[in-house]
Amino acid sequence: MPVLVKARSLLRNLFSTRRVERDLDLEVRSHLQLLIDENLRAGLPPKEAERAARIELGGPEQVKEQVRDKRLGHGLHSLIADCRFGARQLYKNPGFTLTVVLTLALSVGANTAIFSLVNALLLKSLPYPHPERMGTIYTRIAGSSAASDERHNVNGEQWQLLRDNVPALISAVSGVRASGVNLKAGSHVDYVQDGRVSAHYFDVLALQPISGRNFSEEEDRPNGPKAAILSYNLWRNVFGADPGILGQPILLRSEPYTVVGVLPEGATTPLNADVYTPLQPDREGEGRGTNFRCIIRLRDGATGQEADAQINRTWLSRTGRYELAGNPGAKVSYHSVPLQKGQTDSLRPQVLALMLAAGLILLIACANLAGLTLVRMMRRTPEVATRLALGASGWQIQRQFWIENLLLALVGGAFSVGVGFLALKELFLLLPEHLLPVASMPLDARVMVFTLAVSILTSVLFGMLPALVARRVDLRSSMASRTVAGSGNLRLRQALIAGEVAITVMLLGGSGLLIRSLTHLETLPPGFNPNGVVVAKASLDDVRYHDPATFQKLLEQSTAAMRQIPGVQNAAVGLDLPYEFIGNDWVTLDDGKEAGQQGGADWVYVTPGYFETLQMPLLAGRVFTNVDGPNSQHVVVVNQSFARKFYGGTNPVGRYIDKDMLIVGEVADVPISSGLDPVAPLQTEQTMYFPAAQLDRPLLALLHIWHQPDWIVRTAGPVEGLTSAMQRALAAADPNLPASGFYSMKDLLARTLGTQRIEVALLGAMAALALLLSAVGIFALVANMVAQRTREIGIRMALGSSIGQVMVQFGRSGAAASLLGLVLGLALCAGALRVMRSVIYGVGVYDSTTMLFTVLTLAAVTLLAVAVPTLRIASIDPARTLREE
Amino acid sequence: MPSQPTTLLQGTLDLLILKSLAAGELHGLGISRRIQQMTGGTFVVKPGSLFPALHRMEEEGWTSSFWGDSENNRRAKYYRLTKAGRRQLEAESRRWGRISWAIAQALEAS
Repeated sequence: MPVLVKARSLLRNLFSTRRVERDLDLEVRSHLQLLIDENLRAGLPPKEAERAARIELGGPEQVKEQVRDKRLGHGLHSLIADCRFGARQLYKNPGFTLTVVLTLALSVGANTAIFSLVNALLLKSLPYPHPERMGTIYTRIAGSSAASDERHNVNGEQWQLLRDNVPALISAVSGVRASGVNLKAGSHVDYVQDGRVSAHYFDVLALQPISGRNFSEEEDRPNGPKAAILSYNLWRNVFGADPGILGQPILLRSEPYTVVGVLPEGATTPLNADVYTPLQPDREGEGRGTNFRCIIRLRDGATGQEADAQINRTWLSRTGRYELAGNPGAKVSYHSVPLQKGQTDSLRPQVLALMLAAGLILLIACANLAGLTLVRMMRRTPEVATRLALGASGWQIQRQFWIENLLLALVGGAFSVGVGFLALKELFLLLPEHLLPVASMPLDARVMVFTLAVSILTSVLFGMLPALVARRVDLRSSMASRTVAGSGNLRLRQALIAGEVAITVMLLGGSGLLIRSLTHLETLPPGFNPNGVVVAKASLDDVRYHDPATFQKLLEQSTAAMRQIPGVQNAAVGLDLPYEFIGNDWVTLDDGKEAGQQGGADWVYVTPGYFETLQMPLLAGRVFTNVDGPNSQHVVVVNQSFARKFYGGTNPVGRYIDKDMLIVGEVADVPISSGLDPVAPLQTEQTMYFPAAQLDRPLLALLHIWHQPDWIVRTAGPVEGLTSAMQRALAAADPNLPASGFYSMKDLLARTLGTQRIEVALLGAMAALALLLSAVGIFALVANMVAQRTREIGIRMALGSSIGQVMVQFGRSGAAASLLGLVLGLALCAGALRVMRSVIYGVGVYDSTTMLFTVLTLAAVTLLAVAVPTLRIASIDPARTLREE
Repeated sequence: MPSQPTTLLQGTLDLLILKSLAAGELHGLGISRRIQQMTGGTFVVKPGSLFPALHRMEEEGWTSSFWGDSENNRRAKYYRLTKAGRRQLEAESRRWGRISWAIAQALEAS
């Protein structure tokens, strides 16, 4: 078989090079010997015989080389040789190689990390069968000032219409997020996340329990049987993977729920809960508002257009159209979008902005590396000229050069995977839980291919410029002059530096604005005293606490017990606290000239002592006392914003709202996370405070599904073991009530500003990386000039220049490039940073402080990068430099 | 160097080498001398052309080689035709026959 023979020859040529070479050597020698013998037989004297034989053979090395050229795999062989040569060259220049590899590792690594995020959020399919048939519904509002096209939560009416009148879809709803509840297993109480889902929720996800079944429609009816489906982890960790768990009751919210199924290992849902219970959605209670989150799956054979038409037909015929409230004349329509898009749309701009920033980092790295390789190329001009003179073709020189670049790219790329992995791990630690709708960001094959592609692209980008320059190597002049004339490329290198500095200025400006915005949010006047407050949260989503009397007893006993803790000055309960996300409701004014006026207002319940504990100033009237009970006059305390919005800033005390509620006091504003009209992550808004003692049963049941009350204590200083003392105080009132977490006010603030903190951290890291790369670029420019022109420096100094003059002379080139970049960058900022308007708060796009910070940072870094290499000038001895030449 | 004559020469050289080995195994010098003899001294194959061709043909699987002793007891590398080599010889001979006939026709035409 010729093919087999060929393959064997190729393998032998590539891997048994030594044996093949020895064989060839022997054959050529033997040929020579045979020729000599022949000549001897012809009667030539021995000396003459050998001479003639050698002439006929024509040089053994040339013959061998001709054989090698024709060998199978010759091209591959020389490629390997070139790689070896390239690797040796890189090894011999550790400074250059290290700089390039580090630059690549950092810049490509940043891209790897950010791309993993993009991959996990926007590219990777959801982990369900046929994810392309899954979706959610967007509401498009057009023809009004508040046009939008986004995912809305749905109310009970919408849900029932969707379920009954849209046969093209399997639809399901869930609570907006999982609720923390207490699970009693044996004598032990666990705080777990409960995902409340409708029937068919797992059918939409196409998840089948490993044992048992999904919820039935009977279980999903209001007041239907209480059933539960366990996640695999809960089943294993809490119930010891008990195979007999099906049909057994578990105690959730102090009520028995029958286990009907266990989910497979690793199964995830958008809610990511530990246990699932039927939502039992209805038009009443929770279903009055848009409190359900909907997911859909196209049935087999149905198309998206059919589904959209059916949705529009049934939803547009509704009687109560909340979309039109305060928005008359708006045109509303609905359309389904892929679930992945629906889940990540809000994160998309940020993620893509980060990807853009990472791309800019890559450009900076390319500019730097182009500069470095250019210098290296220049330094190698004599070598290139020698090789050209010895007969190497231009292609061979180019090939060698590109092979070296590719080697650098591959090594740098390999390191960048490591850097990316570490960066990703840090990033994941940084993110608040449940911010991302994905459980992990794996470095999968797509990320690897991306990293490889980016590394190679980078090497092509940074190799292009030097390669073009190398083509113009002039043999004669290069051979003649021993020194390298690099001045012709100085302008080019300065332009590269200016470009990267401009990008750096933009990233610095952007992150500066984010920092200023975060600082503004973090230093908003609190309106209370956040220092010395410790918070415990616990879930009251529990059937026992639907009863107002039991609820009241718990609050009184637990706060009384907390006041007994040594070091605690005051204790109270509230739902919710400053900095937290706060619920809202419509309120109607009932007297005076404002009678009949309506508006939204935030909604907080508190125990007496809440305002004192937080030290919120009372501006008018009184705060609540123990006299404000369930059977006395229903009272409310409002804040300053409420008085301003509804009463034009006049004293609201004594006014009535919502028929019979009397405003008894006015307190200062505090920053909160708004659900009413969010224009910033933290803002002050009209707020009503109600006494906890005056809440009724339905409200108690509903409120505690969504929110957990906060137990707050104020201390004068740090108290040892305070949290365990608070837990004991809670347990004294209810032994089955574990705290779900303890926080300081600072923690709550950090939680609310999680997104902003991450934006600052990520963009800040990018800007720092850009700054570092630019500094390295400027440093390299000046350092190279000093190294190349040592002789010139020697002459200048011999002719009477002072060290200082020479240093300024040489440092100027770097400083000039940086200055040009700064001007360019500021001009870019003026245009580009305007897109940040929607993510910065309390600071304008043209912020003088940010600009000053950018200019100063860059000036300092430039000074440092220029000064360090010019210091070498001081150590140059003119006499010795001149002698050496 | 223009490529057209090289390929023609290479094809010719292959044919001559194959033909020289048709009668039996030979070492490099033997092949060279045999070609000289067969062509009445018209073709003198230099080692610089012979060895690359020999190695290439071995890689193609047309010849195989082994180390043996020469007439006057020198170690030498001998080549012999393989089955594929014989087939190649036949094919090359036919092709050459066609070419030479065609060239002759062309030259005779007036």
